[in-house]
Amino acid sequence: MLRKRIIFSLIYENGFFNQSRNFRLQKVGNLQWLERNYKFKDIAFSLDELIVLNSSRTDKDMDKFALTLSKLVDDVFIPIAAGGGIRSMEDAKLLFENGADKIVLNTVLYRDSEFVNKLVKLYGSQSIVASIDYKKVDNVYKVFVENGTFELDVELKDYLIYVQTLNVGEIYLNSIDKDGTGFGYDFKTISEVVDSINIPLIIAGGAGNESHLEKGLLIENVNAVATANLFNFIGDGLPKARENIINNNINIARW
Amino acid sequence: MKIVIVDYGMGNIKSIISALKYLNVDNVLVSRDKVDIAACDKLILPGVGSFGQAISNIRKLELDKILFEEVIEKKKPILGICLGFQLMTKHSDEDGLSDGLGFINANIKKFQEKSLKIPHVGFNQVRSPKNSKLYEGLNSMSDFYFTHSYQAQSSEAINQAICEYGNEFIVSYEVDNIAGVQFHPELSQTNGLKLLENFIKNF
Repeated sequence: MLRKRIIFSLIYENGFFNQSRNFRLQKVGNLQWLERNYKFKDIAFSLDELIVLNSSRTDKDMDKFALTLSKLVDDVFIPIAAGGGIRSMEDAKLLFENGADKIVLNTVLYRDSEFVNKLVKLYGSQSIVASIDYKKVDNVYKVFVENGTFELDVELKDYLIYVQTLNVGEIYLNSIDKDGTGFGYDFKTISEVVDSINIPLIIAGGAGNESHLEKGLLIENVNAVATANLFNFIGDGLPKARENIINNNINIARW
Repeated sequence: MKIVIVDYGMGNIKSIISALKYLNVDNVLVSRDKVDIAACDKLILPGVGSFGQAISNIRKLELDKILFEEVIEKKKPILGICLGFQLMTKHSDEDGLSDGLGFINANIKKFQEKSLKIPHVGFNQVRSPKNSKLYEGLNSMSDFYFTHSYQAQSSEAINQAICEYGNEFIVSYEVDNIAGVQFHPELSQTNGLKLLENFIKNF
C-alpha cells in the first residue's frame, strides 16, 4: 500500500534557516547551528522527505545555496526537493548536482510555462514539484508568486487546473494565512480543492503539533503533510510525532 | 571494493555516492570509460528521466556494448536503480517504443488505471521473493521510496519483488549477477542502505 508522507521544509535565506510567519522570515541559525542544536541527521531519520527552499528576497546566490544544500544532505538518505528562484536550466542543473532529487518551482509556473515544459522534458514530471502559495483576499482565494509578494489575478481553483496542464509531478499547496501560525492546516480550503487535483498533493502551512499532521494525513486525497515549523517540530518533536502517528495506525512508512 | 556508477549523463547520483561511502565502499567512481568499467568489481546503473533519451545516450556512448561484454559475458555484478532497472529490460512504451538493453525478461508499460494519481510517489510496501540475496535481513514486506510513471511487467517468473499501486507490478529482479530495483534504495532510509549493503556483500 502506498504510504503517506511527512515532510519537513527548511526555509533558507542568505545563509540562514528561518522560521516563517505569514511569509515574514525570522532568522534562526545557519547550517552549523542547525547541526549543533538540532542534530539534523537524527531528525531526518523521522522524515519521509525534505524540502529546502531558497527564500532570499534580493540576491538568490544560487551557488551558495547549492553548497549549503550539498552539505546539509550528506548522509541523509531520503528524497530531497530544492527550489526557490530557479530561472534557468543552469539553476536547475546546479541543484540536481548538489543533492536535489526534485526541484520546486513557483513563480515560473505562471511567468514562463515554456521553461517549465523544458524542465519536465529533460528531468521528467516526477522530478518537478509545483509550489502554490495562496491567500484569502475579499473572500476569494487568490494565488501569489514571488515569495508571496505579488498577487495574481487568478483564483486558486482555476490555477490548480492550469498548473496540472504543465505536467508537473506534484503540488505543494501552501496557505499564506496559516503559514507559521501553528493553528493547523487550512482544512476548509483543502477540502474544497482536493478532488480537483489528480497528481500527488502535499499540504503546507499551519501545522503546529502532531494532531495537525495526523488530521492532514487522514484526508483521503492528501498524499503528504509538510511543516516548516522549526520551533515546534525540531528537537525530539518530530521523532515523537512520527512514533505516535505510527502507533495510531496511520498509513506511513516504517523502517 | 571498487564500484563504478555508470555515467550516461542522466540522474542524480550524489545520494548513491554518499550511500556507498556511508557503507564504507572505499573506491567509488563515476565513469563512462571502458577501462574503468572493465577494472571495477561491481557496477551501478542509475537514472532519472525519460527512457528514450537515456537509451539513446547509452548507445551513443557505446555503453550498451561495454555493458553487454562485462555483465553478460564476464558476469560482472550490476545493480540498476529506477530508470537504470528499466533500461535493462527488453523494451519500454515510453517515448513510442524503445528497445532496452535486454538483460531482464520484462517490459515497461505506463500505469493503466485512470483513477490513479501518477507519478507513483512515496514509500510503498515491497513484497520480496523467497531466498533473496537482495532483501536478506529485511522483512518480507518492507517500505521503499518510489517515484516513477512507468512499471515493469513480465510473462515469466523472474525472481521478482512485487508492489501494488492500482495493480501489481515488478519492482525488483535478481538472477545470477544481475539485479535491478524500481525504487530508490539510496533514498529509502535504513531499509535502502541494507539493500545496498546486500548488493555489495552478496553479489
